[in-house]
Amino acid sequence: MKRYPQYKIKVSSLSDVPFWKKAGAMNLLYVSYGIVIVITVIVSYILGAFESLPFDPQEINLGLMMTPPGSSGHILGTDFMGRDILSRLIIGIQAYFLPGLLSVAIAIIFGTWFGVLAGYWGRGFDTSITYINNLLNSFPRLVLILLMVAAFKPDIYYIMVIIGITNIPVVASLIKGKIQFLKGKFFIEAATALGLKNRVIIFKHILWHNCRSVLIIQATLGMAEAILMETSLSYLGFGVQEPIPSWGNMVQAGANYFMQGKFWPSTAPALAILFTIMGFHLLGDGLNNIFERKQKI
Amino acid sequence: MSEAATKGAHEALVVPQAWYSQYLSWLYNMLHGNFGTSTRSGLPVLREVILVTINTIYLTIGSMFVTLLLAIPIALLSARRGMTLFTWPATIFTYVVSALPVFWLGYIVIYISMHQFGLFPLAFGAMSKKFNWIYFLLPVFVLGIGNGTISEVVRYLRDEMERVFAEDYIRTARAKGASIWKHSFKEGFLIPITEIIASKISFILGGAIVVEQVFNWPGMGRMAWQAAQDRDYPLIMAITLMAAIIVRLGSLIQRVVHIIVNPRASQE
Repeated sequence: MKRYPQYKIKVSSLSDVPFWKKAGAMNLLYVSYGIVIVITVIVSYILGAFESLPFDPQEINLGLMMTPPGSSGHILGTDFMGRDILSRLIIGIQAYFLPGLLSVAIAIIFGTWFGVLAGYWGRGFDTSITYINNLLNSFPRLVLILLMVAAFKPDIYYIMVIIGITNIPVVASLIKGKIQFLKGKFFIEAATALGLKNRVIIFKHILWHNCRSVLIIQATLGMAEAILMETSLSYLGFGVQEPIPSWGNMVQAGANYFMQGKFWPSTAPALAILFTIMGFHLLGDGLNNIFERKQKI
Repeated sequence: MSEAATKGAHEALVVPQAWYSQYLSWLYNMLHGNFGTSTRSGLPVLREVILVTINTIYLTIGSMFVTLLLAIPIALLSARRGMTLFTWPATIFTYVVSALPVFWLGYIVIYISMHQFGLFPLAFGAMSKKFNWIYFLLPVFVLGIGNGTISEVVRYLRDEMERVFAEDYIRTARAKGASIWKHSFKEGFLIPITEIIASKISFILGGAIVVEQVFNWPGMGRMAWQAAQDRDYPLIMAITLMAAIIVRLGSLIQRVVHIIVNPRASQE
């Protein structure tokens, strides 16, 4: 996940002007592209889950190998076994969608929890989180995952749990920084003086009103990272295995034909990866520009 | 495998049975400089890993330069002039490039170099006779462009530059007619660059695994891939440790640069 430079922010920026009027045109463009991509992914996932696909993704048709896009009903053509690429792309979303959500959920939930502990309650947690952060940052994710692959041959879900765990400190340090800044504010002092419970202050006043956007941004970036990891691993042959399609192993399967000049079977999934990861990145950065950066002093 | 056979194999390999004592014995040996022998090749791990680490360090540092060469002009221009007809498409371009799957970029580059220039950059080891720089440059170029950090580097550098340009001392410098670049160099350029590099080394090393696989580059990543394939624990443990050492060295250098630029930071 990304780290953004921490700015001092104005807390009381609640005004009557809706945010889309304050935001620049470019950021709105970023966010709308990102939302289009997210909706496309979700709709395709649902289509795939209910098996309403143009063709059966596993159906081998040796009469129609490597057809170019648009021929005989195959919108994106067929691969080296005559399987429909569009259907395989749609089914390939299943390889990362739920595992990616799992990794994002782990990173967000535990990250928030540790961040609150460190920011709200104290120095011991603070130093230990910095320590764990340094520890986890020292290992390249992919190397760590290869180590896990060598040790356990894990499922894609377990790999995503590892990615989620390695992202916990990022979220935790963001939330921690935010809380340490907010704690000096009068409204938190006032809430304490009014006798509100810590739980209410943390969940309502800190997390809901002030950390919402940070968490959403981190979730989109976490999803982008999960997709990147899944496709890289499947490309390397450690993620989703061949008869089941994944964008990574589709690129890999098309590689030999790529060198012969038949670009399409590996270009289609590669472009799918490109547009999807770019969508999540742009969504995260655009939201960050609109909600976080504009408020800097 | 029956229990007796497992026990026999453990005794033959002189390893303790319980996982914690296995780990402790590995740790003890590691601290004494003995990383064990590879279960696949039977060779001592440390020597092999150090040999391939050097190749990976070439690749990583070279690709970092490529990334910076692309990112710095875009970041400086967009920090100085805002979004113009050049910087806006350039920013979009960095996003596209950052999302590009690096293996596919590798295929494109290999295809172009094969068909347009008649090169076959497939074997790094087989080029001992006539060392052609293009073999070396292609993976560096691919990893530098496709490691997925360009948009972040641009973004971070631009934000920091903008922040520094808004500082009072830059306004004073401008009022004096002095060079803004010179005054903002340390805080707005040197520190952010070292920071972002130090935090992205681990990411680039991860990308190196994929690129080494595409280009058959005999580096750490390819060895890690092979070790994961063979479940060669001593090897992959040593590689992971070596990768962590590289990352920590990067952040050590970052701290040193930070303290040289800003001596107050050494008090912390």
